[in-house]
Amino acid sequence: MYSIETNELTHSFSENEKVVNAINLQVPSGSIYGFLGPNGAGKTTTLRLILGLIKKQKGTISILGKTFEEDRLGILNAIGSMIESPSLYGHLTAKENLRILQKIYQCPKGRIDEVLEIVDLTNTGKKKAGKFSLGMKQRLSIAMALLHNPQLLILDEPTNGLDPNGIIEIRELLIKLNREQNVTIVISSHLLSEIEKMVTHIGIINKGVLLFQGSLEELHQKQSLTSSIKFGTNDPEKTKEILKKHELIAVVENNFVVLPIIDNHLISILNKELVDAGIEVYRIEVVKNDLESIFMDLVK
Amino acid sequence: MKLIYSLQSEWLKTKRSAASWLCLIGGFFIPLIYLLYFLIKHKSIISTGNDGSVWEMHFQMLLRNMKAFLLPMGVIMASSLITQMEYKNNTWKQLCTTPQSMTTIFIAKFMVIVLMTIKFFLFFTIGVLISGYVPCLIVNGELPKESLPYMYLIEENFKVFVLCLPIIAIQYLISLNFKNFLVPVGIGLVGLIGTMIGSSWEKIFISPYAFVFLDAISNPSNIHIYKVSLVHFVIITGISYWLFLTKKEKG
Repeated sequence: MYSIETNELTHSFSENEKVVNAINLQVPSGSIYGFLGPNGAGKTTTLRLILGLIKKQKGTISILGKTFEEDRLGILNAIGSMIESPSLYGHLTAKENLRILQKIYQCPKGRIDEVLEIVDLTNTGKKKAGKFSLGMKQRLSIAMALLHNPQLLILDEPTNGLDPNGIIEIRELLIKLNREQNVTIVISSHLLSEIEKMVTHIGIINKGVLLFQGSLEELHQKQSLTSSIKFGTNDPEKTKEILKKHELIAVVENNFVVLPIIDNHLISILNKELVDAGIEVYRIEVVKNDLESIFMDLVK
Repeated sequence: MKLIYSLQSEWLKTKRSAASWLCLIGGFFIPLIYLLYFLIKHKSIISTGNDGSVWEMHFQMLLRNMKAFLLPMGVIMASSLITQMEYKNNTWKQLCTTPQSMTTIFIAKFMVIVLMTIKFFLFFTIGVLISGYVPCLIVNGELPKESLPYMYLIEENFKVFVLCLPIIAIQYLISLNFKNFLVPVGIGLVGLIGTMIGSSWEKIFISPYAFVFLDAISNPSNIHIYKVSLVHFVIITGISYWLFLTKKEKG
């Protein structure tokens, strides 16, 4: 079952440019779904459409098996969200900000202290939210999203502006929520490295088009498919010629002969042939493309 | 029930807000001026020697001064400040993703402005009483013999409140649709000054800013200002509600 499912979701702010183009998002229940894309790719617009903040133009959106037309309030009651920058009342304290939402959700008052403890903001006292650091504001926003124990958490770039320590803290918090409370989490980011350690599924968007969607394992498979093998020899050009006989297309990069990944048996045959041809082979190396470069390749 | 929770939530937002301070300072401003005047001049509502009800005279004197400019300006500022709080704090998106219908959000926010205006009148009336009682005790060493005309004060406050409703409605409409705080305040100020300049025109009642002012000066068109004020309020609020519901982007 999917917590979020969109079908051909399309949106444009002007006639010529589709900001979101026929997106079929599928967020499995219980997953941590990383929604990746460079700045301006259409991530925020997609998330705003999902939350009903922008009027839908084309396509369908189903959240927790229901559409907004069927049960808007029921859906919103089950979602916690943070879109773009933190939404806080600067003249109020952390507790007062949470109290505003507690009134609406009618959740127990004790929950305010609980979520403040979760995000480590228990000692802010009478300090106004407007005086908080960006990291504290982000954490308070997450506390606000968690207040009513949502089944689905939608966080748009929640680690923006956080220091490495803050990023790790948020990551650990989200993993804990997902594992212990089975909260489905959608987290958007423009940096794969920032979220690859926590996500179970990934969707990559660029220029409004969903380029990849699947589990982290599927992305890793893609990673091995795009890996290459490097031969370090004393005569790269002659090496290239020998490889060509096996219909292998190789290129010379920094004095190394680089070719797409091949199986181990063929590597040993090639090695033998190179040695027999009088070439000194001093290095054979498998080069794995990191996920970041796959991401960059996809969004190029 | 949902509306009550939403209203409570909206009311919490006004804590320590600029609108709350404005309400407090604005409500006590004119009474404080009179209190100082009485004390400096060594006068009181007893020693002013009126034939009629001293409280009624005192209340009307303060109210007249307030109605001329301070009250409409205060209502313009407070209505804009409360509504603009969401833009200022970037919280419309947060508010619109809470499980409340757009109608509930619209009504709850509007009711907070109305309640804040009522609070303003409450502060003003308390100020009227303080500026009446304190000089009597200090200057005359006694309290006025006339009992306080509670019903009169409530009635008069209510009448002025009705005249404020079109200003609240128009400022609410503008504030909901413009992100920049200067737009509603600027339009309000221009509307108010324009109405003052054109106050002798017999059709000045087409301006939602006219009624409090018309009540303070002469009424050139002899219209029933309370009824027309309510008509303005209903029409403007209806338009405002429709615009709010049909907004393409919420937050």
